[in-house]
Amino acid sequence: MGVFCTIVPPHVLDRLARAQDPDLSTAARRTLEHDARERTRRRLTTVLGPTVSAQGTASDTPQRTVDDAKHHDTLPGRKVRGEGDKPSKDVTVNRAYDGLGATFETYLKAYGRHSIDGAGLPLIASVHYLQGYNNAFWNGEQMVFGDGDGRIFLDFTIPVDVIGHELTHGVTQYTANLDYFGQSGALNESVSDVFGSLIKQYTLGQSTEQADWLIGAGLLAPGVNGHALRSMKEPGTAYDDPQLGKDPQPGTMAGYVSTSQDNGGVHVNSGIPNHAFYLLATALGGNAWEQAGQIWYDTLTGGSLATGAQFADFAAATAAAAKARYGEGEQLAAVLHAWGQVGVQVPAGGSAAPTGVPRQQPGQPQQA
Amino acid sequence: MRIEVSRSGGFAGIGRRAALDTAGRADGARLEELAREVAAQAPRSGAHGVPDGFHYEITIDGRTVECADPHLTPAQRELVQAVLGEGA
Repeated sequence: MGVFCTIVPPHVLDRLARAQDPDLSTAARRTLEHDARERTRRRLTTVLGPTVSAQGTASDTPQRTVDDAKHHDTLPGRKVRGEGDKPSKDVTVNRAYDGLGATFETYLKAYGRHSIDGAGLPLIASVHYLQGYNNAFWNGEQMVFGDGDGRIFLDFTIPVDVIGHELTHGVTQYTANLDYFGQSGALNESVSDVFGSLIKQYTLGQSTEQADWLIGAGLLAPGVNGHALRSMKEPGTAYDDPQLGKDPQPGTMAGYVSTSQDNGGVHVNSGIPNHAFYLLATALGGNAWEQAGQIWYDTLTGGSLATGAQFADFAAATAAAAKARYGEGEQLAAVLHAWGQVGVQVPAGGSAAPTGVPRQQPGQPQQA
Repeated sequence: MRIEVSRSGGFAGIGRRAALDTAGRADGARLEELAREVAAQAPRSGAHGVPDGFHYEITIDGRTVECADPHLTPAQRELVQAVLGEGA
């Protein structure tokens, strides 16, 4: 592949990789990763599924490490706080540590899940990545946080839902492994927003009515006109600012955006499944992480979703999950109604998604 | 030499685009050196990023190179930061 590879869209490259490399061994993965200095990791992850971690009884306590990248891009950086260590003088380090803990706690207490992989995967976060870096991401193995430039964004460790969002990319990687492009990519993003918000709600003890349903509240710098980056309650209303533009998220299929940018608008069209979840949670009331969150968790981890699942596939899988866990009651009706309100039609019967052996049982690593 | 950088993706999903012409700039020679280095680099595995990672298109005199966090070379990183400025 040459330097000028713009004529081949990323999703096509992904498909090529999948077709060519169905059975890469762990050794081959290691060699390739070593050769390419991490460059191939995401694609390999998509192709192969995650690296299976050590077997054994997973602990009910997290194993956290926070590293300081010291404004460079070498990961993970220098270890500054390990599990059980006393707080650092650096509030960013402590926020990352606490956010990792909140995420671990929510997945364990609400869903019986032991860490990202369901098998006690150690949680690693690097803070102070680059200078004034306006982003946070999951690199397939760990979290990475920028400090923000202070002009548009503040420190990305501030909102706990951002930490939960990033770690949920890890959970998705180990379960449904939704392709990060188009509708499956928007679902991948939405699942991270949903559980990011649920982790915040669980941590603060907020009911559905008390929750702000915002993603990234507290992240925008003073003077920026907005209250967050996304609103699950009212997609498209999170910000409207001369520097940032206007929040482009649609809340229904009528506003679906077709674009080649951002992996096919994964951060834009995620507003549609985000809003469906909000509608379901508020229809059921109480604590959103309980019934609504359980239905979404069962869908993500149940093994019926294809990696290229579209909105309608995901909707059908949520209906099947609601029926499997709660029967043909108000939960199933609320799921169907919520998807209908955002313009996603669930195929008749609500179980169009193929059923099969669950991809992952609690406490067991996924079969690659 | 005209250098344009377009950034998409990221947690916020907010795009950024900026361009400069090296002619008459005090750092013009350095930027041209970086641009030549970036143009000469041939990524072996495309511009695949990670969830929420930034994706960059660097266009140098009409020819475009793609790259994605966290896999930028030092030259790509310096050039992107110089052109885009803000938090890149």
